[in-house]
Amino acid sequence: METITRINHYTAYRPRPFTREERATVTILFGGLTWKHERLIQGVMHNLGYKAQPLPNITRADLDAGKELIDVGACCPTIFTTGNLVNFLKSEMAAHGRDEVVKRYVFLTAGACGPCRFGQYHESYTMALDGLGLRDFRLFLLAQNQLDQGATHGGGLEINLPLSLGLVWAILCADVLTDLEYMTRPYEVIPGETDRVLRESIEYLYDVFRNRPQAKLRGGKLKIFAWHVLTDYFTDALREVRRRWASIRVDRLRVKPKVKITGEFWLQTHEGEGNYNIKRWLEQEGAEVIPPPIAVWLDYLLHSPITSEEWKGAERDRKKIALIRALEHIYHFVYNRFRKALGGLPYELPDQEELKQLAKPFYHYELRGGEGHMLVGKALYAYRHKKAHMICELSPYSCMPNTMSIGAMANVLGRYPDLLYAPIEVKGDAEVHALSRCQMILTEAKRRAQAEFEEVLAKTGLTLEAIRRYEERHPEVQRSTYRIPHYGYAGTAANYIIHLARKMGRSVAA
Amino acid sequence: MGIPKVLNIWSTHQFWVGFLTALGIAPENIVFSSDTSEEQYREYGKGRGTVDCCYPVKCMSGHYGELIFGQKKKIDILLSPMIYSLPSFLRGHVLDTLTCTRVMAGPENIKAGFLKERDVFAENGIRYVSPFVSLGEPQKVPKQLYLALKDVLDLSEDETARAVEAGYRALEAFNQKMRQKSREILTWCARHDHPCILVLARPYHMDPGIGHEIEAELQAHGFPILWMQYFPIDDDLMQWLFGEEIRAGRIKSPFDISDVWPSSYSSNTNEILWGAKVAARFPWITCVLRFSSYECGMDQPTYTPTQKIVEASGTLYFKFGDLDATKPAGSIKIRVETIVHYVGKYSPDIIRRKLAALPPGCPLLEETTPESAPLAA
Ligand code: SF4
Ligand code: SF4
Repeated sequence: METITRINHYTAYRPRPFTREERATVTILFGGLTWKHERLIQGVMHNLGYKAQPLPNITRADLDAGKELIDVGACCPTIFTTGNLVNFLKSEMAAHGRDEVVKRYVFLTAGACGPCRFGQYHESYTMALDGLGLRDFRLFLLAQNQLDQGATHGGGLEINLPLSLGLVWAILCADVLTDLEYMTRPYEVIPGETDRVLRESIEYLYDVFRNRPQAKLRGGKLKIFAWHVLTDYFTDALREVRRRWASIRVDRLRVKPKVKITGEFWLQTHEGEGNYNIKRWLEQEGAEVIPPPIAVWLDYLLHSPITSEEWKGAERDRKKIALIRALEHIYHFVYNRFRKALGGLPYELPDQEELKQLAKPFYHYELRGGEGHMLVGKALYAYRHKKAHMICELSPYSCMPNTMSIGAMANVLGRYPDLLYAPIEVKGDAEVHALSRCQMILTEAKRRAQAEFEEVLAKTGLTLEAIRRYEERHPEVQRSTYRIPHYGYAGTAANYIIHLARKMGRSVAA
Repeated sequence: MGIPKVLNIWSTHQFWVGFLTALGIAPENIVFSSDTSEEQYREYGKGRGTVDCCYPVKCMSGHYGELIFGQKKKIDILLSPMIYSLPSFLRGHVLDTLTCTRVMAGPENIKAGFLKERDVFAENGIRYVSPFVSLGEPQKVPKQLYLALKDVLDLSEDETARAVEAGYRALEAFNQKMRQKSREILTWCARHDHPCILVLARPYHMDPGIGHEIEAELQAHGFPILWMQYFPIDDDLMQWLFGEEIRAGRIKSPFDISDVWPSSYSSNTNEILWGAKVAARFPWITCVLRFSSYECGMDQPTYTPTQKIVEASGTLYFKFGDLDATKPAGSIKIRVETIVHYVGKYSPDIIRRKLAALPPGCPLLEETTPESAPLAA
């Protein structure tokens, strides 16, 4: 023993435990999603008796703070999220002192996904903590693919079914609401109306999650699981959201290109300065954005073990595959119930098998890291099913997996030259360049949306005046919650006209 | 059969040769592309890159092109495996042994440059084959390779399985030979109290066009160079280096790196971290050379931990980062002089201090171990 102590070998950061007794006084910090997702997650945490608080919205200043404290060459999600934590801790230290911050907060982050830096984010966080002189601050890593990890890191946080299911359900609810938000705002008649109702709806849902009935969170795992899947508790709440949402009037005759956002997980999910606020920018530039639901990522996580299990071929593996498939069905069932409660307006989840098959000639589905083959799959899915005029792929500067799939997209574009694809590299501080690149492709998308609109007018023989007259007689079609089916056109306006033409009794082929 | 000599082919080439020869392909019909060079890229790869990224991936277009256009005897098949995981000696002691996401997906990226306008492979009568292969999980490999190659090579499942075994045997034999050679060099160093230098890098930094042979310049100054990949892992040596820490409960085995790197998913990264631990302990390694390619996302989070691990015991640490296509000859020359100076000056002290921290009975000093003069290695 004596010999070892003569050289003090380096050891990695190890947080001291967060104990059960500390739950009442210690606040769990978290972040990395949108404010909507985070608010509902906070509801879940409060419901289970935790103090929890999302980190403030990401800003440009976080990039600078992150760069200052971690090794050069990190991908921008790592820099932004590290800087975000750093700036929050700095401001809290200034207000309450160092020791109080160490005592008062712990930070929880997802990780453990393996091959890319996402699995190593916490290395950057700990380096930043060192830089701040906060090595005794507690930072915990959550595996994102296990629903029941038990009491971890000292018992302060218990990763059990009530927590995990709550988190997944909160994410799914925030996802369907985000779909609603983005399909409504570009068409709202009264500016600001969508954002107002959205804020109210999220607050309402926060209460719903905070008040999840405790009696339903006790007992056997199966019972808890079954309640979450079958209860009307969440769907009733979403119906109430729909009722509120119905007050927003929309004008769907505005011709807008539909832009599907894909890309690296953090960057595509984010809404703010971390990705140049690109979704809002696209809306200001006249587009309708299709946001990327986190639900698709979760579906991918659920589905992906199947392929690797299939290699083994043993009886036990077949049972495991059957179980995963059953869980997938349940997952889709829940998501579709939520969609239905919102009038069927949110987009359906793409079939993972279809994404896999679409991507197959270009990118192998077992290649992990980032969104894997899904970037190729999702682009082709939107293209084939005419869901969008254009794909905007957000790729972090120096991201490892994304550079690979963007390269593979060259092959896709060779085969589908009319697929409009804008890969946008996000560095965090090169906004003008990135947005002007996007602008160029967007111009073509606008042209296509306009051409499609005119084609539909000609095809239906309808005039704008005739449509306006119909809207006056049938105000319900101007409700944001009025569902327009997809008739094979990417644009909302084009599908709307076909729909009205049919309502007017004209026979139009889709 | 042409194989681009890129990325983790550098650490698994013996597997591929063993596997293919066991399938009846004559060794002279297995061609590897040459070492990476700027000329190779200019001549064969230019204009085929689809994205800007680290050089070890970017240069692959040149390797593909050389195999397609630059062979006297045309190849029939271009085999560029997507290596998902690796058969690391750390397997079982770490969370996983995956390759970098760019290593596994590199072939999908590079092939796009040869397909985007027209099918260059087909035009040249070449079949492009890119099996997805989990070399870290041998039980999966026969099926993966069988499904990918059965139509190309007319294989049966059984013969594929046998060839896979032969491949692993060849790889293992090669690794053992290299480790034995390293052990002999280390023994010589121990017996002559001579410092040596350990390289911490990814296997493809052995490619002169990627690692730029920086270590050779130091070797020319009389310092034996060892690559961490082939450090001897014999139990006697491991117990001498790590035994006390295992008994103290700090680690579970000599190959446990959870004390320094908890997110141990990536195979090459894990080995670099393990190598840093070895360097921090092994007395006659007095200096570490760390190589890293420009824009390497896997290395980025490891820079500080690796340096801290090595320097904790006073071992010298020099990093050559941002390596790209061009050899930075001028800066290498200046730094090599500095390194030579420091290694010469501080090694005796470093050796003494590290030796004092280890239990007596270094197995390399026992009579039975053969030694070999390092510069002949
Ligand atoms: S996917 Fe890319 S950007 Fe995201 S953590 Fe991994 S390397 Fe960074
Ligand atoms: S490990 Fe680094 S250098 Fe190697 S392929 Fe990955 S990113 Fe490139």
